[in-house]
Formats: sequence, structure tokens, C-alpha cells
Amino acid sequence: MPAADSLLRGALRAESVLGVETALGEVAERLARVTVQVRFGGRSAGAGVVWLRTGVVVTNAHVATGPGAEVVLPDGRVLSARVSARDPGRDLALLAVPAEDLEPALRSDARGLRAGELVVALGHPLGVAYATALGVVHRVPTGARGPAGWLHADIRLAPGNSGGPLADTAGRVVGINAMIVGGLGIAVPSHVVEAFVRAVADARHGGARAA
Amino acid sequence: MSASSSGGPLAALSDDLAAAVDTVGRSVVAIHARRRIPASGVVWQPGVIVAAHHTIQRDDDITVTLHDGSTASATLAGRDPSTDLAVLRLATGAGASGPGAPAAAAAEGAPRVGQLVLALGRPGTAVTASLGIVSAVGGEWRTWQGGTIDRFIRLDLNVYDGFSGGPLVDAGGRVIGINTSGLARATALTVPAGTVARVAGQLLARGHVARGWLGIATQPVRLPAALQRSLGLEADGGLVVVNVEPDSPADRGGLLIGDILVALDGQAVRDPGDVLAALGGDRIGKAVTLKVARGGRAEQVGVTVGERPRARR
Repeated sequence: MPAADSLLRGALRAESVLGVETALGEVAERLARVTVQVRFGGRSAGAGVVWLRTGVVVTNAHVATGPGAEVVLPDGRVLSARVSARDPGRDLALLAVPAEDLEPALRSDARGLRAGELVVALGHPLGVAYATALGVVHRVPTGARGPAGWLHADIRLAPGNSGGPLADTAGRVVGINAMIVGGLGIAVPSHVVEAFVRAVADARHGGARAA
Repeated sequence: MSASSSGGPLAALSDDLAAAVDTVGRSVVAIHARRRIPASGVVWQPGVIVAAHHTIQRDDDITVTLHDGSTASATLAGRDPSTDLAVLRLATGAGASGPGAPAAAAAEGAPRVGQLVLALGRPGTAVTASLGIVSAVGGEWRTWQGGTIDRFIRLDLNVYDGFSGGPLVDAGGRVIGINTSGLARATALTVPAGTVARVAGQLLARGHVARGWLGIATQPVRLPAALQRSLGLEADGGLVVVNVEPDSPADRGGLLIGDILVALDGQAVRDPGDVLAALGGDRIGKAVTLKVARGGRAEQVGVTVGERPRARR
């Protein structure tokens, strides 16, 4: 029979685990509100993240391979989207969705992360819609090119996570999951996505094109 | 947006994990002693680095990248293939102050199954981390090369290329041991800090880990019940001697091929590992009594334990 104090300690530990689990559920819910499914001809191709209220959804270039796609919003609406920009080098694409009332993702700069920090991924791995994964930051992006230009996470991802969010413990998106290399999840860092979205908007409004 | 600073248990856990990586990560170095990607190492004392033996593929021209990005040359102080550990000394002055300070003291007591742990590495310039749990803990065990590891620690955790030689860290930032993929197939094991300290001490003092040696090869055999009775043995098995190295301690003591070794200093031996276990470095130069079955009779053979010749690589 365990002593009363060890029973008490056991109870406290369970409470701390419960707190972590509850918080994790809240992060997953927050991410689910800003994560979409990207489909072609009724088949799921990956995930996407609502970036701007005005119908701008970010996904991977390797997910948005054609001129258009179907986007399934978290509320179940199915809208046809136009692929408005692609950057295969960064594996990014923008989808223009005919909606003006979308909840955009909270974001945080991936360069402010620390190795070991918890991260949460949401996506549709192997066709399982809105599945959550928990991991840690493996390597913080520090550069512009090569491996240092990507956010590496020690997290279990699968095809179907592509284009979906990688977020911190507050549910703020720090990257767009793009590939799996040697078991590591590799994401496009949020600041790279911001720059891409801005550059596309600037080109549209100013009529200028980056050389 | 400062939602995360408001905390909550998930954010608090995340902060603790990142702080543990930050604290111990200062003592994690990259070791360039093989082709392809570098391996990891841990600053164990000022100027002294512990690494995984199997990642040190050359004895010279070894360089180390410290946590601040600076590079120092290092010399191999010694290696112990039996525990997959190696010790490097940094070139005079390098890393002696500030950068690469010693890792935190070893956690006391055994790690618990289910405990959260982080594996750290530096396979390049940046420190990297992965999170998992301790999946199994056991007592002392012997590696396939005969090394003694004080405690068995198996991990449920992804160990990526270049992680061998890096530390296993608890959520409080204490080093539990050194991770290596070199001691088991397809799984990550941790050499506990106590074993690392013992082996590193011997490598620094002597350049190698001395082990006792008899100079025999043996194979387990089952003893017929009649022989077991006539010799008054409790065990029904022994070790048949299949080779005696010329001029070895066993040869000088008069051991013969075909002898069946049944006890060493009164302790029954049934597995070659039992003999290895009795031949620690502290036995070198001391006399042991071997009880053997020879021609159906029991004989006592006195042998002075020698030192095992240095590993041929």
C-alpha cells in the first residue's frame, strides 16, 4: 500500500499531465480553425493555412501543382480556388479563395524559436483529416540558403501534412510543413512565407515584378 | 501577440525543454573525425571532450566546433571500443574558459521509464534536439565487445545522423549519459554518466581501458550427469577450452585445449561472459584458480591474470 504522500504526489503529477493535454487540445482547436484541405478532383492533395482574411491560403508548391484546386474550409464549405502564385524553390504556393470572412492564422517568427521548444503540427496525414502531432524544434532556421534556411522539427509527419501548419504552444504558426527528410519534419519558416505573401501582393498592386 | 507569455502548462513545459537544451547545448560540440557529417561530443571537463568511439574514424587531424562556432584542434586521449567511448583533449587553452563549460552534474539515481528526455547533438554548427521518453531501464549489462555498462537505458526517441556522442538530458537540464547508436542495432542506447566518468578517467590516465586476460577461447558445453556427480558439481554445464594463445597466462599456467572450465575462484562459469566479468582491470597481476574437468577428473590450475593486448583496429 503506497504511503499517503506518494499517492498525493501521483495525483499532482496526473494534474500536470492533464493541464498539458488540455492545452494541447486548445492549440489543436485553434489550428483547426485556420487549416484547410486542398483537393484536386475530389482527391486530397494536402493541407493549407489561411494567411489573410481576404481569402489568401498558403500551401506547398508541390501540393498546388495545377492552375486551380478545391479548398475545403474547416466549416465544411467547399470552394474552388485559383493558384495565384508559386515558388517551387521555396515550395510555396498561394491559393486565392472566393471568401472575405476567413479567420487568419496567428503567426510568430520562426527565427525566435529555441531548439527543444514544443511544436504542434496539424494536417491530414495519409488522408486522416485534422490529425495533430507533437514534437520539438530540432534546428532553428538561421540562414537564407541550404539546410539552415528551413525549420527542422523532431515530429512524426506523413504525406498529407504538406502545406499544413507547424505552430508553437500558443498556436501561432511558425512554419508550413513541406517535407520529411531522414525522419525529420522540414517546414518553410514563417518569415519566409510572410516575405513571399508580401512580394506577391506588392507585385499585384504596384504592377512591378521582381527580377 | 504575446499569447505564449501568458503561460499555461504546455508553454511552461516547452520553456523548460528549451532551457534544458540551451543550458546543456553550450557543452555539446561537433567533432570532425570522419567523412560525411560530423558527430557530436560533450565537454566533460574543461578541455576534455567525450565522444562515441565509432564516430572517431581517424586518430589525427581531429577538429572540434564549439558552441560559439569557434573551431579548435583536438588530440585523441584514448578510446574504448567495448563501451563505444573515446576521449579527446582540446589544444591548449581552447575551450578552457567560458565557451564549452562542463555539462551539469549527472542526475542521481536511475532514470525512470516514461520520463521525458531530450537527445542533443551538434552535427554541424547548430545545436539540434529531439524529444522522447525512457522506454526501458535495466541493471548492469555487458556489450558484445565485453564492456561493462552500469545501467541499461533504452530510449523511445529519434536519434538522427550525427547524434552519437551527444548527451541525453532530463527536463531539468541534467546530463543522464551519452547516446550512441554503436552498441545495439536499430536502437538508441545511453551510456550512463557514471560509466562515462569511469571510462573517461581510465582513458585520460592510461589512454586505454585495461582488462584482464587469460588467453583462452571457450564454448559452453553441457556436462553429462555422471561426470557432474563424480566431480561434485552443482552446475550441469561448463566451458570447453577450444584455443589457448601461445605464451598467454593460460598457456603458462598449463591450461590445455579440451579442458572444461567449470569454476573460476570458486564461482561457477557457464557462459564466456562469466569469465569476462571476472577479468576486470583490477585483476591484472593477481592469481586466480581455475577448476577444470580434464580426462574425467577435477583439476585445479593456477593462472596469473595478464593484461589483454590492445585492441587491433
